Amino acid sequence: MNKLIQNEMMKLIAKKRLVVIALIIGVLVVLFTYAQYKEVQREREKLGTNDWRTILQQQIVDTTNRLSSNRLSDEWRQQLQISLQQKQYYLDHDINPAEPGAPTFMRIFLENSIDLFIPLMVMVIASDLVSSEHSMGTVKLLLTRPVKRWKVLMSKYITLCLAISLIVAIAGILSFLISGVVFGYKGWEAPILTGFNVTDTGLNTTDVKLLSLWKFLLMDFGLVWFVALVVGTLSFMLSVLINSTAAGMGVMLAALISGAILSNMVSSWESAKYFFMVNLRLTDYMQGSPPPIEGMTLSFSLLVLFIWWAAAMAVSFIVFTKKDVY
Amino acid sequence: MEKDITLAVKDLRKVIGRREIIKGLTFDLREGEVFGFLGPNGAGKTTTIRMLVGLIKPTSGSIEICGTNIEEDFQKALGCLGCIVENPELYPFLSGYNNLLHFARMLPSVGDERIKEVTKLVGLTERIHDKVKTYSLGMRQRLGIAQALLGSPKVLILDEPTNGLDPAGIREMREFIRFLAEEEGLSVLVSSHLLSEIQLLCDRVAIIAKGSIIRTDTVEKLLSNRERVAWRLSPFEKGRDLLAALTPIEDADNQIVLTEFNEQKTPEWNRMLVEAGVSVLEMNRKMPVLEDLFLELTGGETIE
Amino acid sequence: MSKNYVRLVTIIGVVFFLLWLGGLGWAVGNYYAGKPESPPQTSPQDKAVDNKKGLTITAIGDSLTRGTGDETGKGYVGVLVDELKEKTKQTVQLTNLGINGQTSDQLRQQVQQSEVGRQIQKADIVLVTIGGNDLFRGGQGLMDFDSDNITAIEKKYLDNLNFILQQIRKNNQEATVFFVGLYNPFIEMDQGKEMSKIVRHWNYDSAEVSAGFPKVVFVPTFDLFELNVNDYLYTDKFHPNTKGYRLIAERVASLVTW
Repeated sequence: MNKLIQNEMMKLIAKKRLVVIALIIGVLVVLFTYAQYKEVQREREKLGTNDWRTILQQQIVDTTNRLSSNRLSDEWRQQLQISLQQKQYYLDHDINPAEPGAPTFMRIFLENSIDLFIPLMVMVIASDLVSSEHSMGTVKLLLTRPVKRWKVLMSKYITLCLAISLIVAIAGILSFLISGVVFGYKGWEAPILTGFNVTDTGLNTTDVKLLSLWKFLLMDFGLVWFVALVVGTLSFMLSVLINSTAAGMGVMLAALISGAILSNMVSSWESAKYFFMVNLRLTDYMQGSPPPIEGMTLSFSLLVLFIWWAAAMAVSFIVFTKKDVY
Repeated sequence: MEKDITLAVKDLRKVIGRREIIKGLTFDLREGEVFGFLGPNGAGKTTTIRMLVGLIKPTSGSIEICGTNIEEDFQKALGCLGCIVENPELYPFLSGYNNLLHFARMLPSVGDERIKEVTKLVGLTERIHDKVKTYSLGMRQRLGIAQALLGSPKVLILDEPTNGLDPAGIREMREFIRFLAEEEGLSVLVSSHLLSEIQLLCDRVAIIAKGSIIRTDTVEKLLSNRERVAWRLSPFEKGRDLLAALTPIEDADNQIVLTEFNEQKTPEWNRMLVEAGVSVLEMNRKMPVLEDLFLELTGGETIE
Repeated sequence: MSKNYVRLVTIIGVVFFLLWLGGLGWAVGNYYAGKPESPPQTSPQDKAVDNKKGLTITAIGDSLTRGTGDETGKGYVGVLVDELKEKTKQTVQLTNLGINGQTSDQLRQQVQQSEVGRQIQKADIVLVTIGGNDLFRGGQGLMDFDSDNITAIEKKYLDNLNFILQQIRKNNQEATVFFVGLYNPFIEMDQGKEMSKIVRHWNYDSAEVSAGFPKVVFVPTFDLFELNVNDYLYTDKFHPNTKGYRLIAERVASLVTW
């Protein structure tokens, strides 16, 4: 098995996919860093200060005023209220929710890329892992070796897992290094709050915990990685089912984008919560943002994702070991 | 003495949907022989070969490679088989060496030594570290064979091995295949839709059309009774009568008489004709053609 | 591309695989675990006021502070800041904490927040508008003219105002506080006369409370809106429009010294 994984890694590296992904991430991080930098500057200009407390207080007042408008949808109102309560909590405990520095940028970058950007990057690798062997015709050589088919597929899957781990690492490292140029490399020990519970009545702060940012980041990374793994496994399955890489990518892309759209409008369609794509924003639970559909919790989302993952694995392996190769 | 059977196929069938694609094939390969698989495109050659190498699951029937049933012990059976199915599609983004390394890793106990050995055998030592995308078709074909030979197989299955090669390449490939069979004692199964190729290359041939084997035999036997000598004689009538007395004659149009070819007798007939005062204007040994045989057997189904 | 390179990448991949797996496990564990570290209940008060240049203004209060009704979105606070910038040639740092619909009760809560206190503390000028929502109940006008009722509301309001000003003074003894009085948006309506009377009374009492504190200036606006009130009101006939805010801003600006 080790040798097979070496084979797959060799092919992956020779295709230079990871390099391409690193480049894409790098370019985007530069863009985001610049955008963030501009945002900070604008805020400073507007308020004439870079005192975070003043900025946060101003945000609280702004949010309160938005809440006073009676044209808000109930949902949006609730979200605003929760974010308001959170900000007030941070302010009351004298904790900066966005301690400036590369680690905070990294956290924001991760939280914003968990449901679309990182999965997209993962797709680049996952969706042609099997189908490219078909399109190149090498599958005929691969499957006529004295190696059981499931082992061949397993070696590919393990390689995918490793590649996903590397992609998440690349995203982390690049966002840290690049944003640090602008925001500085400090702030690992900055405090951050987690454990906000969103209930019907609003925000429950009784379970709030204080964490160092680096601990929080490691957890964020774990969640991002899990999401990437599930999305990767699903594209992997499509790659097994559909011999065309482009078609597999298209299906996956449609699913991911529909997830982003659905999250914004399904709050009344309750059973939509069983779709994998509305469950991708796991880091939001850590943050305490309200879920897109009532009743969704971290364990619920993890369970839904796990079931999709398991189903994708089962389908991939059954189809791959049974199917005739023409 | 009968040589060992290395590949045994019994009553192999494949049904896709309601259509029976392969209708009960039975044949054997023996050690050191080149076995030809001849049929027009769409006859079921490729499907059969894919079943032999484990890419397609047969609906029924058994395949034994070196005495091991492929469905019972896939690993052991495939361990003594090397194959190229259609074109040797290797990883273009890897070097030839890495391609070989890749496939060597999928075989039990094939080391660097063996990779060097097969590289030398197919004559690719100089270019082995170049990327495959820079290779010519002939080089890819050779790399494909190197890859098939890595595991020192007993049986080699080559699907259309000369497809796309230039005449020199075809000749080279043919010699190489003969070499493998005669010197290394491999059983080689070659499929082709080209008669000439099969005729030059194979010891035995199975003719396949519409999913069934029409006939299996040695090339000599298939052809021996079909070898002819064409005589152009003057005066024609006299010569013809003379020959007719010596041997059965066929066809006599266009001032040509056809008789069987016989190494001992033909020169003698010639001498007798000359002595009888008949001028032999032309004496032409007509090489037997599988084409004719094929047409005869398949009832007119065309092949290239 | 050597074999060793492939092996190295594989090993790095495995390391990160395990690291992220650990992170995931930790995240789930932590999410459902008890409370290992609770946040500090009282914050360390190292809230040193940042080195300030120029003038610092903190505005608190209701929709007038917010600038509701002003199409430019500035409100009297924004206009005032612009004017001061021009006059003083200094940078002016503004913190506008006005909240639409805020009553004196709510402002009383707000000024007790530590951060709001800090904002007041660092200010050179504090601007306050409050009371309109107490009296007019969010623009609905006076519900009734039951004087007992109004007396009760006013009593409560004056108590709150007293508290708010105390709180401001407690946080900042130096800053000048400008407390902007009420105008009567309903002056041209049927019962405008009666209402004006109530507003005048209200303003008088407010000024009295303000006078009890040093450097608290009561800024009357009643007279500004007395004539042609509709020219200065927004379409809701309650909040000032751009012109109206400008009137208020000019009056406050004329009082500011530095």
